[in-house]
Amino acid sequence: MAYVIGVDVGGTFTDAVLDDDAGTVLAAKSPSTPPDYSRGVLDVLGLLAEQLGTSLPEMLADTHHIAHGTTSSLNALVMGNVPPVGFLTTKGHRDSIFIMNVEGRYLGRSPGELQHVLGQTKDHALLPKKHALEVTERIDRDGTVVVGLDEEEARTAIRSLLTDGVRAIAVSLLWSFRNPVHERRLRELIAEEDPEVFVALSSEVSPRIREFARNATTIMSTQIGPGLRDYLGSLESSLRTNGLTGPLLVMQSNGGAVAAKEAPAAAISTVGSVLTGGVVGSVALGRQLGHRNIISTDVGGTTFLAGLVVDGEPVRDTTTVINHHPINVPTLRVDAIGSGGGAIAWLDAGGNLRIGPRSAQAVPGPACYGNGGTEPTNTDANLVLGILPEKGLLGGRKPLSLELARQAIDTQIAKPLGLSVEEAAAAIYTVQNAQTGDLLRKTVVEAGHDPRNFVLYAFGGAGPAHCAGYAAEVGCDTVVVPLGPVASAFSAFGLASSDIVLAAELSDPTVVPFDPQRAERNFAELEQQVREGLERQGVTFEKVELHREIDMRYSMQLAEVTAPVANGPLGMPEIEAAAAAFEKRYAELFGKDAGFREAGIQAITFRVRAVGVLPFSPELPEVPAARGEATPFTTRPVQLDPTSGYVDTPVYDYRELRSGHVLQGPAIVEVPTTTVVVPGGTTGTVDQLGNLTIRRS
Amino acid sequence: MTMPIPGSEAFSSRPVDPDELARSLPSSLQVHTVTQEQVDALDPLTYEVIRHRLWSVTDEMGEALKRMSGSPIVTDANDFDFAISDELGQEVQVGLYNTMLVGAVDLAIYWTLRNRADNPGIESGDMFLTNDPWVGGGLHQNDVMVYQPVFHDGKLFAWTSAIAHQPDLGGVGLGSFSPAAQDVFSESLPTPPVKVVRGGQLQRDVADLWVRRSRVPMLIGLDLRAKIGANNVGAERLHALIAQYGADTVKAVMKRMMSDAEHRLRDKLTALPDGSWTATGYQDQSHEGDRDLHKITVTTTKTGNHLTFDFTGTDPQAGVINCTYAGMRGGVMLALLPILANDIPWSAGGLMRCFDLVTEEGTLNNATFPAAVGRGPIGPAWLTGSLIAECLSQMLDRDLELGKNVQATCCGTWDTAVIAGLDERGEQPAPFLSIMMEPMAGGYGARPHADGVDTGGLFCIPMGRVPDVEMTEFLYPLLTLWRREEPDSGGPGRHRGGLGASIAFTPHGTSIPMGLVLASAGKAVAQNAGLSGGHPGNSGLDVVARQSRVAEILASGRMPSSLAEISDTLEPGQNYASSYLAPGEVFSMTWQGGGGYGDPLTRDPEAVARDLREEKITADAVAAVYGVVLAGGQVDPAATAAERERLRGVRRDRSRVAGETRGKADLSSVRRVDDNLVEVGSGAGTAVACGRCGEVLGDTGAGPLAVGIYDGAPTEAGPQIIATAADYVDAPVVFRQYSCPSCWTALSSAVVPADHPDRAVTLGRPTVATG
Repeated sequence: MAYVIGVDVGGTFTDAVLDDDAGTVLAAKSPSTPPDYSRGVLDVLGLLAEQLGTSLPEMLADTHHIAHGTTSSLNALVMGNVPPVGFLTTKGHRDSIFIMNVEGRYLGRSPGELQHVLGQTKDHALLPKKHALEVTERIDRDGTVVVGLDEEEARTAIRSLLTDGVRAIAVSLLWSFRNPVHERRLRELIAEEDPEVFVALSSEVSPRIREFARNATTIMSTQIGPGLRDYLGSLESSLRTNGLTGPLLVMQSNGGAVAAKEAPAAAISTVGSVLTGGVVGSVALGRQLGHRNIISTDVGGTTFLAGLVVDGEPVRDTTTVINHHPINVPTLRVDAIGSGGGAIAWLDAGGNLRIGPRSAQAVPGPACYGNGGTEPTNTDANLVLGILPEKGLLGGRKPLSLELARQAIDTQIAKPLGLSVEEAAAAIYTVQNAQTGDLLRKTVVEAGHDPRNFVLYAFGGAGPAHCAGYAAEVGCDTVVVPLGPVASAFSAFGLASSDIVLAAELSDPTVVPFDPQRAERNFAELEQQVREGLERQGVTFEKVELHREIDMRYSMQLAEVTAPVANGPLGMPEIEAAAAAFEKRYAELFGKDAGFREAGIQAITFRVRAVGVLPFSPELPEVPAARGEATPFTTRPVQLDPTSGYVDTPVYDYRELRSGHVLQGPAIVEVPTTTVVVPGGTTGTVDQLGNLTIRRS
Repeated sequence: MTMPIPGSEAFSSRPVDPDELARSLPSSLQVHTVTQEQVDALDPLTYEVIRHRLWSVTDEMGEALKRMSGSPIVTDANDFDFAISDELGQEVQVGLYNTMLVGAVDLAIYWTLRNRADNPGIESGDMFLTNDPWVGGGLHQNDVMVYQPVFHDGKLFAWTSAIAHQPDLGGVGLGSFSPAAQDVFSESLPTPPVKVVRGGQLQRDVADLWVRRSRVPMLIGLDLRAKIGANNVGAERLHALIAQYGADTVKAVMKRMMSDAEHRLRDKLTALPDGSWTATGYQDQSHEGDRDLHKITVTTTKTGNHLTFDFTGTDPQAGVINCTYAGMRGGVMLALLPILANDIPWSAGGLMRCFDLVTEEGTLNNATFPAAVGRGPIGPAWLTGSLIAECLSQMLDRDLELGKNVQATCCGTWDTAVIAGLDERGEQPAPFLSIMMEPMAGGYGARPHADGVDTGGLFCIPMGRVPDVEMTEFLYPLLTLWRREEPDSGGPGRHRGGLGASIAFTPHGTSIPMGLVLASAGKAVAQNAGLSGGHPGNSGLDVVARQSRVAEILASGRMPSSLAEISDTLEPGQNYASSYLAPGEVFSMTWQGGGGYGDPLTRDPEAVARDLREEKITADAVAAVYGVVLAGGQVDPAATAAERERLRGVRRDRSRVAGETRGKADLSSVRRVDDNLVEVGSGAGTAVACGRCGEVLGDTGAGPLAVGIYDGAPTEAGPQIIATAADYVDAPVVFRQYSCPSCWTALSSAVVPADHPDRAVTLGRPTVATG
């Protein structure tokens, strides 16, 4: 018997999913235990062992590998809870990280915040100026050394950082991705001063053109590297003590895992690990269900995350934004598009109904939680509409107060608008679904696709109550709500199903057509890097896939578009094919006449992505087939459509549902962690894996 | 040629009465509209769903335009915008990029409805193109608007539009900018609205006619397609919205969005006291060779729920520093949108109903054809916006809550440097032409509750950005010696203005001199004024280092960090100049930071010490401007108090006192005027007093306040004054400070021409509007 385990450490809960090669899938949930998250990991693993009826050491001994996603690095960055870091850069260019290309004032802000120009500040300098030091050196665009490194000056700078208590240094020099000689020499000089200091070079962390994002990426990676090293070190040793012999893997933003011991050197690549688990899970589930195009929606109390799967592959991005800084990390595209179940309904100064982006957060939460919240949220509206039961969710220990929900909606929305509480609640529900539809559409369209060609997956506590509504708004006619054993731990299921993915990239800006030898040389170097990286993982792969890519752009455009490049020897036809692929993708993204070849095409960044396929692909087991029709355990009046008012609606317990059951909308399915709405005019069908698929009747 | 040209007035567009415009249309052009009853009948749910969808449509258009464009001015500087307008051109939803363009979009559509409806007709599948700043759509010829009538059931339903700055559209100067132009005939040809797309087809003859004029025709071609693409996205989504909800409902929402914005702005205005506020500013030099100062002045009057901006007294049009009516209106929008409408949706058609413009024809910001207007947006329109912002700030500073949107003036212009030459780094030498985009990193003004944002950007393009040094060096044969925030460049004040920055570069990879065209302002006089006694930010300064030692310095293994190291022949670049930069020489630009807020002697000494640590200011400024005494980096409170007292004594000794004070008032019950002044008493007995010492300085009504007045050398404003006025203009320029004649707190601190209007008359008082 061999297991694979996915562990997803969130801010509140640590989820785990265990899968074996004989069709068993188990899930467990346990509170997270900051600041030492490894305790929560061991707790949740203990729960899994209990379910298996075995001991933790016995289970771990039989575990092929553990794939781990953690939010702790991202939290540390967002909360500014990082140790002091030094920064060495080219003389004359220190202020790059303070000027932030100006965009540090507005990057990553919501539309409402963007309009409030006078409310914006650049409040997140990466580090104080005394820790940002310049060294005399200069390399030009072609990689030629214009001014050599002044080593004496550099040593003085390094000593001043060390004297000031800095234990980690980020080195990022102009054009270092073209010629890393000065960065490498600086690493040697730092090691000569103190070999224990953590050092990251921009030419290794992010060898990509545009120094501001490269500086920021290198600095942030240095800020979280030592902490990640210490955390993973202690977690791995306690897992080993408890009998784990297989590898401990860490999820990265790119949707693949990497060996724990390799993660700290490129720590920044792991920051998005908990965001991407759901997308990876959607890919795995989609593979089982035969869905190639998926919009994955993960809606919690305070966040709404949307990801895309196109033709079986997650949609990727080359950059993300953290703390208003652009960060160079090959990543799965996950957009935070709204504020989830806690989004607050309010009236603006013109008396118009608005929802979000402000959220009631975990505390005080929606008014109906009775924790002192007085502002009405989506959750409150859902309770008034009967979507949520007053006694709380199935198995839930938390009853909800209909009275408080009604009171909040009445005073804040209904009375001022001259509506009844029920009408106001219906308006909140409808507006929320429509606006979510708009934002989801933005995500899909900006990635160059038509939402009508997608199936929508919905998970998280607050998604399934709304998904049929927002899916209809964007034009998706099929919605899947995973209801099997992993319903409450879908992200951890994604982790368990991930492979190892390594990416290496290098900017080498040039104009198309260029000498194929140049591409051959770049790819050969990058392929060697990823192959060496794969060898260091300490894992046996079923197979290894290499994907070559070039980021290209027309003329001087800001945004590059990634184009695939053929494997094998490259000649002019292959370069031309890559340019054609770029043009095709560009036309998909921006319209068929948008391209303009005559303006010229530039190749900017070369990248190789290696997928080390693990000999393990967890699948959800089949659930028993239905015998007879599904029976609701109760009915209650529910209003899903403002025009039809409250309708006595059957409510089902998801544990009673079997493969082949058909639920005619309107219907409600209660799950311990969520409530699924099957609106009138749609039909819910339970598939062979226990998922509920909702389609228009 | 500066005389008005008969026949050109037909191209001057002005705001119109929509009903009158609708009645004037030919019967061949049916328009779709709804009644007020239909607008009133909207339910809140439908309204909010469609409103949000219209926002999402506009957003999608902008995203398409931004990502399709090939121009760094679009992709890096975000100098573009887009809009959805109703059937008559009133703007329902606008983008958040170049906010000045908002004041020009509808003017072009009004003009098109008036002049194109009969011949060649306005039909489904058409798109128009214009870059005529008199018609509207943009503020100078480089702003090009492509816009489309959207039809439903044979009726004109709405308009979509996309506007972007183009790097070059011909004319005698690089980038279509000629610093010596005497009239528009030296600039890019203004093109009144032409049908560039007909029946959904790009008209090849028109497109060729369009791109043919440019030095970079391929980029112009790419951007033309980008704008067409953005319009297509807009129309497609609008049609889908109509199909889902019906044309009448969508139109009713569009109308209500505008009236909602209008009513919310009117409510905000109603809550403020009536009054008039004045601001006057300058452009130094009007064209190559000029040494005069050119004034724009505005009196902003708020009566009830309405604003009037009266520009009477503004100087006649001159040189290249003019803008059309569209530019003046755009300048107003650049200030009004963020300051008064930060919390109101930007349904600009409604907001623009809340003000009138009073102006004389043939002036700097209402120039008559054929004035040169190439510098329209970045010179006169921008200055117009800065002055409107100064008026609105005085109006709002009385209110603590609305005062959160008070801001001293931001970087007051765009420091322009166009370079062109031969890039010899590749296998084949290639010509290049570019505008340096770094000056996008201007400083923001200080606020009553916070310092200005350092290198926060440009107030008129809130989402502008500067390119990375590596991207600039990849594209052009340059080596950037430094790009840095300049200490002291933020105006001193109780809250400090945001820092500006500087760049220095030398040709690298080219063997022949590159052409260098300069256009700037704000060197002799301050364009980044302070508020409430805060000092102006730095003067701009462009310098060419001739006979430079840069090659030897680099070869010896050093990186220079100051111009003094590089050359003994530092040539200050005039505001308007056609020059060159040869290999081995260095060009440096320093652009403006923001103005300060409040008397710098009242700044928290700990903030001064922190500013020194973070290199926001120099030790010179700590002592001379802020009067803070540090010992080992720590504030010495007693010595600081004594030094500040001494500096106030210096003010007393050097100032002349005008008027008589009236003794101390009781400060226990006062109404805020600004950072220093308060109103005391009530009714006819209302007086203005110094809020710091209680001295009553005068009436709230007419008559000057009793103040101490000092005129000194501009450099007395602080170390940020780095340019010498006499290098640029003949008129005398002074540092003028008004102080409380009792406690010597600074009430106003400016760098202005000696003949600048006396502020003692207006300081701290809204001249109450009459009639």
